Amino acid sequence: MPVTLVDRLPLPNLKVYTAGSVSLLSIAIYYALSATSDPNWRVNVTQGRQEGMAEPGDLEAQLVMTSPPVVAGNGTRNISDQFVDVMTFMMQEPLCVWTLINLAYCSLAVFGFGVQRLVFGQLRVAEAQRVKDKFWNYVFYKFIFVFGVINVQYMDEVLLWCSWFTLVGFLHLLGQLCKDRYEYLSSSPNTEGWVHVRLACLLGGILTAATALLGAAAAWGLPAGRDTFAFMAAECILVLVAVLHVVARYVLQLYECDVAGPVAYYTHLVFDSVSLVVELIHVLHMVVYSNMLVSMASLVLLMQLRHLLHELQARVRRHRLYTSLATHMSRNYPMASKEEVDKNQDNCAICWEPMKEARKLPCSHLFHNSCLCQWVQQDASCPTCRRGLAGAAPARPAPHAAPLPNHLFHFDGSRYVSWLPSFSVEVTRVRGELAPGPALDNTAQQLQHMFPQYSIATLTADLSRTASADLTLDNILEGRLVAAEPIPEPEPLPVQQQPTLLDVATSTIEPWTPPSSAYLLPTTSTAGTDTIERSNRGTGHSTVAPENLVEDDVSLGGFAPSAASRAAALARRKERLVAGARLRYLRRLPRAP
Amino acid sequence: MAGSALRRLMAEYKQLTLNPPEGIIAGPINEENFFEWEALITGPEGTCFEGGIFPAKLVFPPDYPLSPPKMQFICEMFHPNIYADGRVCISILHAPGDDPMGYESSAERWSPVQSVEKILLSVVSMLAEPNDESGANVDAAKMWREDRDQFNKIAERLVRKTLGLPPP
Ligand SMILES: [Zn+2]
Ligand SMILES: [Zn+2]
Repeated sequence: MPVTLVDRLPLPNLKVYTAGSVSLLSIAIYYALSATSDPNWRVNVTQGRQEGMAEPGDLEAQLVMTSPPVVAGNGTRNISDQFVDVMTFMMQEPLCVWTLINLAYCSLAVFGFGVQRLVFGQLRVAEAQRVKDKFWNYVFYKFIFVFGVINVQYMDEVLLWCSWFTLVGFLHLLGQLCKDRYEYLSSSPNTEGWVHVRLACLLGGILTAATALLGAAAAWGLPAGRDTFAFMAAECILVLVAVLHVVARYVLQLYECDVAGPVAYYTHLVFDSVSLVVELIHVLHMVVYSNMLVSMASLVLLMQLRHLLHELQARVRRHRLYTSLATHMSRNYPMASKEEVDKNQDNCAICWEPMKEARKLPCSHLFHNSCLCQWVQQDASCPTCRRGLAGAAPARPAPHAAPLPNHLFHFDGSRYVSWLPSFSVEVTRVRGELAPGPALDNTAQQLQHMFPQYSIATLTADLSRTASADLTLDNILEGRLVAAEPIPEPEPLPVQQQPTLLDVATSTIEPWTPPSSAYLLPTTSTAGTDTIERSNRGTGHSTVAPENLVEDDVSLGGFAPSAASRAAALARRKERLVAGARLRYLRRLPRAP
Repeated sequence: MAGSALRRLMAEYKQLTLNPPEGIIAGPINEENFFEWEALITGPEGTCFEGGIFPAKLVFPPDYPLSPPKMQFICEMFHPNIYADGRVCISILHAPGDDPMGYESSAERWSPVQSVEKILLSVVSMLAEPNDESGANVDAAKMWREDRDQFNKIAERLVRKTLGLPPP
């Protein structure tokens, strides 16, 4: 399948690519140096050219006439002259030109990598996937544009468009990353301020660069015709709108705007519709310009057009629903009076936050206006008592749409572009398979929480072998996975000791005492307890004794202020729950049928 | 939208930490992503699932609490109301809009006044008393009705598995 082919394409990593580009450049420079060291290189080059091109003879003579100064000045050539020579030579030699272009791309890639490292750090899996999808999507549409719409004839033109799209695409991808990261940050409870500062700086940088590109489009595009300018400008405007939307969301957040309030709503509405309309016009323009209604390219464009129209329509429909709901609510349900709000001690049952202002339903339940508005869009009933709201919600919107698939364009390439076998249009990823990376590490950590007796390294190794959390889990549970390394954390009842413990359990005939009276095992009476103690000493750990389990449970009150200590407390509580349940189960065993 | 969901989830996490219902622990897997939680549920006493600690994953939508979270056991389960892949099928987790079984009145379905704690308590009572009407796992439903001993044996094996003990 071409889809997976793109994913598995052995793209070289950045280091290899950079090293290759630099060595190519040095070879090219060396070649240029050795070629220009000959004082008559200009003559040689032109002669070499003409052997291939059968130029008229008088031109040759003319060219030879122009070279004498170089020949004469050979002995005293200084470095700057030599540099100029090398550069001139490289610009003339096609192979060297390609090397330089490659170097430019390489520098851009290194720059992008640097920015990513500086601002985003390690990309999350979802972000990386989105960027990848967007990249291939972009490449595909620009390919269509250059060869299908503009129909370029000359290599220079292709090169110019390519470099333009490289720059714009670079900004597009950075903008996408900013948006994803912003969404992620706004959903994380605690982020340091400087993360936001760096993101804001990058947003500013993208805005400046996009504006500059818009200026460049005006400077170079306008002389080439209005169409060219429109094509170039549309791309810049799309980048600008996307980035400004993120900026606007930042501003809204900064002013602590009500997320469901009218200000936020209309801001999003404006940005969404501007971006949709610009893109729609852009695609429409391309269709009209390409002037070939039956070509494959226009088919692709029309598909995209249809998709955009559909989106715009959906947006308008959502907006109409919103306005009708807002008027309906304010007409039918009065805001609660000040006394009613004061008398009501409870928080809003939807968001669990205190209410300063509230809307009152006929059943006299109070909610935030915005909370209620959002709920009524889904279901016309009181959230608390489920009493129907007569005549509410004009039309129920479609139940929440399934999350959009990862690929960004809704175009089934294999069905329409059979003439483009090397392009996979739909970039999907194989689900359920764990590729090495953060996802796998995360799973390993989760497994390690559940089975502390295994080290992270063991789990990671097994996970990368099985590529599935379920298979590894099976391996662990069926005992196929051997805990190779010493147990890293105190483990009350390591699995390896089960036989003895089962013996303990069967020999202990005391009935199970509830946890409140502690796990007090008589330390001297039964041989079984000795086994536990001995085995603990054997593994060299000051194991959490059963008594401590309970005592600590009592002392575990409180909700730690920092994320790390909360996570640690949660992990401890989980460990205790499992350990306690295991112990209780083993104690219960003799009585079980 | 995600902001209000986050504040609400934080409040729920706090409440579940300070006043945990007995035998239930729940919290985000990693606070980097507050929308994915792991819950541990103790099998209710006096039932065939007694003593087991069943881990489950809760995935919250960005518009939580307007839409319900999705819940999936991440251990092997055998229960009439749990799909083979661990997804839990109870009415409280169904959004008001969808009604795959066609039998629920809207009163039993999701509403924003529900919470993680209420979901987990409902799941505990579901473990104790399977709902015969929803056939998420037809084999389990049939065995539950017709061959309770065999069902108990399977449950026993699952309980041991969740505790990391070898099968009896
Ligand atoms: Zn509210
Ligand atoms: Zn009510």
